[in-house]
Amino acid sequence: MTQEAQNDKFCLSRRAFLLSGGTAAGIVAVTGIPGLVDAALQTATYPRRKIGQVSKLKVDVPLVVQYPGKDPNSMAYLVKLGKSAGGGVGPKGDIVAFSTLCSHMGGPLIGTYKGKHKVLGPCPFHLTTFDLSRHGLVVAGQATESLPQVRLEVKGDDIYATGVMGLIYGYHDNLAIQG
Amino acid sequence: MVRAASDYQIPEDRIPLPPSNAEVLTTACDYCIVGCGYKAYRWPVGREGGPKAGQNALKVDFPAPVNSGKWISPNMHNITMVNGKPHHVVVIPDGDSKVVNVQGTHSVRGGALAQKLFNPNKPTAQRLRQPMMRVRGTLQAVSWDTAFEVAAGISKHVLDKYGEHAWGMKSYSYQYFENTYAISKLAFGAVGTPAFAPHDKPGPGKDTPGIDFSGINPFSASYEDWGAAEVIFFSGVDPYETKSVLFTSWIMAGKTPNKKLIFALPRKTTGVAWGESKGGLFLPVIPGTDTVLHLAMIRLILENGWEDKEFISRMISNKWEIGSGMGRGTRNTPWQWVTTWGKYGTDFANYKKWVLGYKYAELDRAAKITGVPANLIRKGYFWGVTATSPAFISEEDYQDFINISCGAGTRPGQVISRGGGHQRGWMGGAGYPRGLSPEKMPGRRKKEIDLDRWTADGNLRFAWVIGTTWFQAMAGSQNLMDAVRGMTAQSPHQIDSFDAKAAIETLKRRADSGGMAVVNQDIYPVAPIGTEYADLVLPAATWGEEDFTRCNGERRLRLYSKIADPPGQAMPDWKIIAGFAKKMGFKDFDWKDSNEIFEEAARFGRKGVLNYHPLVVKAKKDGVRAHDLLRSYGTEGIQTPIRMVKGELVGTKRLHDETLELGPPEGPTMHPKWLTHFGTQVGKAVLLKSPWEDFQDFYERVTPKGDEVWVTNGRINEVWQSAFDDKRRPYIMQRWPYQFLEIHPDDAKKRGIESGDLVAVENDDLLVQTGGYLGVDGKDLTFTELEKAGKIEKSKGSFTAVAMVTEAIRPGVTFAYFNFPENPANSVVHRVVDPMTNRYRYKLGKGKLRKLGESPYKHSFTTMSFAPRDIM
Ligand code: SF4
Ligand code: FES
Repeated sequence: MTQEAQNDKFCLSRRAFLLSGGTAAGIVAVTGIPGLVDAALQTATYPRRKIGQVSKLKVDVPLVVQYPGKDPNSMAYLVKLGKSAGGGVGPKGDIVAFSTLCSHMGGPLIGTYKGKHKVLGPCPFHLTTFDLSRHGLVVAGQATESLPQVRLEVKGDDIYATGVMGLIYGYHDNLAIQG
Repeated sequence: MVRAASDYQIPEDRIPLPPSNAEVLTTACDYCIVGCGYKAYRWPVGREGGPKAGQNALKVDFPAPVNSGKWISPNMHNITMVNGKPHHVVVIPDGDSKVVNVQGTHSVRGGALAQKLFNPNKPTAQRLRQPMMRVRGTLQAVSWDTAFEVAAGISKHVLDKYGEHAWGMKSYSYQYFENTYAISKLAFGAVGTPAFAPHDKPGPGKDTPGIDFSGINPFSASYEDWGAAEVIFFSGVDPYETKSVLFTSWIMAGKTPNKKLIFALPRKTTGVAWGESKGGLFLPVIPGTDTVLHLAMIRLILENGWEDKEFISRMISNKWEIGSGMGRGTRNTPWQWVTTWGKYGTDFANYKKWVLGYKYAELDRAAKITGVPANLIRKGYFWGVTATSPAFISEEDYQDFINISCGAGTRPGQVISRGGGHQRGWMGGAGYPRGLSPEKMPGRRKKEIDLDRWTADGNLRFAWVIGTTWFQAMAGSQNLMDAVRGMTAQSPHQIDSFDAKAAIETLKRRADSGGMAVVNQDIYPVAPIGTEYADLVLPAATWGEEDFTRCNGERRLRLYSKIADPPGQAMPDWKIIAGFAKKMGFKDFDWKDSNEIFEEAARFGRKGVLNYHPLVVKAKKDGVRAHDLLRSYGTEGIQTPIRMVKGELVGTKRLHDETLELGPPEGPTMHPKWLTHFGTQVGKAVLLKSPWEDFQDFYERVTPKGDEVWVTNGRINEVWQSAFDDKRRPYIMQRWPYQFLEIHPDDAKKRGIESGDLVAVENDDLLVQTGGYLGVDGKDLTFTELEKAGKIEKSKGSFTAVAMVTEAIRPGVTFAYFNFPENPANSVVHRVVDPMTNRYRYKLGKGKLRKLGESPYKHSFTTMSFAPRDIM
């Protein structure tokens, strides 16, 4: 089977689902914060990988981690915000992780974290800022998607990445390219 | 009220790639004036391309490279019907573009264009699909024929019995040449009514009269000029928030990326913060005082003799040249009212004398009035005069001299333009019948109607509203809604039968008892005009559902291709107009497609800056449809006015261009003087005095007192117009689920308000003009005289908003989005027009703030962000 044909097969089942399900095309009403993260991941299978330790994190000092792939597009920031946040883990619910590629056109966001406002940005390319306490919502700017958030779990002192909400810049499928 | 999309959005983590053989259509953005180029890829559901360049239509390996313009974000994909069959559609900025949005850059608005296309599984399911008539209070489907019959029946009655003044239309002015041509041909030509207003103003006329009366076309510059300027002075606008790609592709980049930016605004937004970080200047002006700021800067220039003397002697009109009428005709034109009524137009020597002797141009007094420290004003003018390539972009009027004095206007990188909001899509099929207008300036000069006052005063019997919220976009919104509700929904005469004749009889009785019949034509239900007041609601097809054309902010003409099927029985506006016109018995409304209108309309735009007539002539010669010839120009299109040189079509980069070399005009080509000179008869610009006293009476009356604050309003980057599409975008609704109000921490603290609190903004001192249609003596229509004559009434207005406490705004000033229809900020803006320009002072609302409690967003992690917009 050619690559294109394989994709056809995958697409058929997935799109059939999207067309028939009234709320499946991107909109699911959820109320709880953990639920928001969970709902996105019901149909995807992401690797579960240890990416850090709670005890090693300092407030407002982001660390570069790699998830879900090994390529440069999968570079993410793991950061302890110092106040609880959407999708946050750890004792204070303030540990979050996000893609470091701007979801507008892939601008590099490493080095742009602003502790005062808990935002990443402005992106050096077109100035988009993202609110890390609110699932990576755009504060101001041009990105057509929130900044993809890495789903986290904590076991003891260990932080595990278990999935990604949103399509990472450059990818057509977060799970298609892993190496 | 229409509830928008969910506040919570679960983003997709994959998109289908267009296979190599996907169809490709070119288009441009439906939204702001920048007019970015886009490509639509469509292919039947059931197939998908692969991540290798050879496997997808973008011809790129995934992961797509950074900044390539080749990445498809989930909001760029949708599934929609094409000829009745489900198709994937990807609408993506043109990554190969060398103009406008170079390399596929885009804004948050245009980037999500694919979500505009109708998909019944998404919030676009709310699209109007059938004509509806309100029978016994409920909108229910009827046939197009019934809808046209009822609309024509009541129209004939109103025209026969009350005349064309009683038949009104409120319509967008920009939603494509084909539609506006049909609309104006009907309203001004066939019906001949003066009771017309575009979406953004109470009546027809110039958007920025000050710039225009000086002889400067508001869209004379090309984007390249913004890229090449060394200093740009922005008055009342941060293009990052409103014309995103103009800022990101041209102002932040272009030939001189290190340009200096000066902003005069009451609040600091992203573009201002970026400008400051690059050594620019922020002049935090008190709303409404810009004129004084400009005067002070001009005075400093003149005091120091730093004006561009060579340019002024060459390009500014002298006394005799002004008197020659400037090619606008000397009688009964808006230009003449301004230049003679108040004696504004003047030559340089007299202008200089006036400014140097004018107390409101004194630096210290200006600093006090404007709230801008004197040292900042001084810095601002200094940069302007020392730059070799200054440029000016403005949403204000009467500040032209500051620009001209620095030699801007006619040379590459030295230009003056408006920022502008929407694209340029007006093609008049007939002229506005100003002679029939019920309004008159002092003297014998007619002026365009103020449709809102005309309506509120009870003069309309029929209103047709096309593609606009009307009330929420106009000042004193709620007061206007009250008036219209009384004439429509509260009339005892409500249609109670599906029989067209019976319906017409009911509406006749309504009209005869002082009421009004309403037709609302739009793509979504619009509250309250469509949902509560209209007797007929007509579903329109829109962008991507028909081949359309129009120009952007550098007059770039493109074909906007049909991509997908319109929902249900929706039809493009031109077709609806034609259906009605035929029922009325009007001739020459039988076009078979939008291309036919495009070709017909070309003749009517020949003398204007949007002239594309040579393209139509060439298409005829080549034996192709004009739309198809334009299609061959792709996303690049061609800049109007189009000329013919050696048989080929040539675009015009900038207007008033001293560097443009023109041979003799060829074939259908026109060479108006303004191609190489300013837009006046002698080709020189006219200086206009801008006396503060003309505005001072109104300004002082509406200045906040006691615990009132200014309530100004404007655009934010993430939302377009009335949010009609954004409301159907879960992503945007998550960011902006509700109206907001920026408040300075000092003002918030006094009132116990925190970010996330729900506040009511209430203006119990709302001024509304009634009557006052005819001016006799010189000062008759000034605010002071209107008030004396009892023509200014007091009303109320209010809206609620979620507080955003931020130091980015001046103390004493608050800021809301200009048109969230559910919470209209214009409710607290006074409905009194400027006597000279017939425009509202939209940015000068005021009110008291009342904390109502906490909004649901205050402690939410999913919806709305309270981080400021000026983080750098
Ligand atoms: S900048 Fe304007 S034209 Fe360009 S994509 Fe955004 S909204 Fe559309
Ligand atoms: S790439 Fe980040 S704002 Fe454009």
